[in-house]
Amino acid sequence: MSTAGRRILLGAIVVYLILPLVAVFLYSVATVWQSRILPDGYTLEHYVAVAVDPRVQGAVLRSLALAVLVTLIDIAIVVPAVFWARVRNPRIRPIIEVGAAIPFALPWVVIAFGIDRLVGEWAPSWQTTFPVLVLAQSAIAFPFFYWAVDGAMAATGIARLTEAAETCGARPIQILRRIVLPIIRTGVATGTVLVFAVSFGEFALARILVGSSYDTLPLWQAQALLRTDDQLNELAVTTVLSFLVLFALAAWLVARGRSSGASLAAGAQVGTPTEAPR
Amino acid sequence: MATHETVTPDRMTPGPTRAGDLLPPARSAFGRLREIAGLWLPALPLILVIALLLLAPALSLVIGSFRDASGFSIDPWIRVITRRGDQAAILTSLALGATVATLCTLVGAPVAWVISRMLPGRRAAWLALFTVAGNFGGIGLGFAYYAILGTVGMLTLAIQGVGIDWVPPRPSSFGGLVIGYLYTNVPLFVLLTIPSMGALRDDWWEAAQVASATRAQFWRRVGLPVLAPFIAAGWLLIFTWSIGIYGLAYALAGGGAAMTTPLITLRIGDILATDFTETWRANVLSVILMAIAILSLLAYRVTLRRAVRWFR
Repeated sequence: MSTAGRRILLGAIVVYLILPLVAVFLYSVATVWQSRILPDGYTLEHYVAVAVDPRVQGAVLRSLALAVLVTLIDIAIVVPAVFWARVRNPRIRPIIEVGAAIPFALPWVVIAFGIDRLVGEWAPSWQTTFPVLVLAQSAIAFPFFYWAVDGAMAATGIARLTEAAETCGARPIQILRRIVLPIIRTGVATGTVLVFAVSFGEFALARILVGSSYDTLPLWQAQALLRTDDQLNELAVTTVLSFLVLFALAAWLVARGRSSGASLAAGAQVGTPTEAPR
Repeated sequence: MATHETVTPDRMTPGPTRAGDLLPPARSAFGRLREIAGLWLPALPLILVIALLLLAPALSLVIGSFRDASGFSIDPWIRVITRRGDQAAILTSLALGATVATLCTLVGAPVAWVISRMLPGRRAAWLALFTVAGNFGGIGLGFAYYAILGTVGMLTLAIQGVGIDWVPPRPSSFGGLVIGYLYTNVPLFVLLTIPSMGALRDDWWEAAQVASATRAQFWRRVGLPVLAPFIAAGWLLIFTWSIGIYGLAYALAGGGAAMTTPLITLRIGDILATDFTETWRANVLSVILMAIAILSLLAYRVTLRRAVRWFR
């Protein structure tokens, strides 16, 4: 490819990728924006409006609670399972692999519908409740955590280290503190960021499982966008803020030296050559 | 990492040398139970989550799609497949997925190649940009569409401002959805294929030059044949993900507006939100979507297995 062609291609990509971010940001600080390429005036009043709007507050708090709970649950269920699969019982691994393939392959609308069906059949009083949303989100987000933590364990040969420690007479609690936790720290950091980001912004699951019983942030955003009661500036503000949170988390990861594709792409790469021969 | 991957399975095969087996094997029923618990207990919560919240719902949808009031029946399937609206949704979803995946490939493959040959510092900056963009999706991205290409969007105003009478594609139209979908999927495609660009070794190009091949010849005879399976795998993955997108489609097409550009995901969401008597229809559509995704993912696996031979 010629140098000029390369410049044009990359330049066009940058504009395409940056433009929406710029537009949303300008929208969040615009007074009126009806006729010219840039807003007629600038203001911060939408940020204030968002901060004092009780519906937005509720939605943000619920999304935060959801993301935090899901992250904690996924840490609690994935770390022991993966550790045990690597160190004690390799037959656990294929089960986790199948489980991790499901949210990767199936559209989340479909999984959400399936969960909703089951809950409606077996425990109708739980339908649309927050705990069901938390559990469903934990199930869907666990592969991100699994890939991150498993990668960290594989890279360090945790099975051999644990074995060596046992041979030296280390007690389980010592093994946990001195070997397992230091090894998986990077993986847990990556997994936490991914799971948090995915859970905070998830729309499909919340829409199918919760409907209109209460708001998470994406549910509120969807309503603000599609209803015409002029909350578009507030919508822009929440988009900018949640983007900044996501950006800060990603930057933190990169600063830690783990700049791999922090997205679903991380899962696909399990199958790609970097780690492929399984 | 690959070396560890290939080493560990051997190390983990059950054998007398494993530390856990140093204890004498228990014989009583209670001991047997303890042994099983010792093997499985730490993984039990995760296995339960997988079984109850991922496997069971998928199975329940498949089974449910073959039932009506009287019991087993393929009637729901026939009624979905023969209905115009549902046919349109299936075809539109497939067409949208194929269009998005193809455009992603045409743009993303050259970009991935260029970036893979950059110096590490510049490459990291690009990867960061793509990571950020690839994660900016859903409702926020849908809103960005209105802010740029809406009737009073930034770009619309800019183009009309210079005197051109231009009407942007409506967000709910096929073209509008494609533009929106490309935003997250081009970065994902690039992130996915950059590692595989290493399959094409620089000394092959030198060898081709020694044999006085032109650049075009090199790409036709060596470059593309080596990279083709990776690019095909990327296409399949983007296709699979595109047909499953819901949040962005909802933001662009609107809840009730699933009429203008019918998509399977939008139909499912619509039915569940509004019409409880039609749940069976959403059920069959879900299974169809599931089947398409699984087939496409299997093709992805096969393609990739073929591709990685260049890394051995």
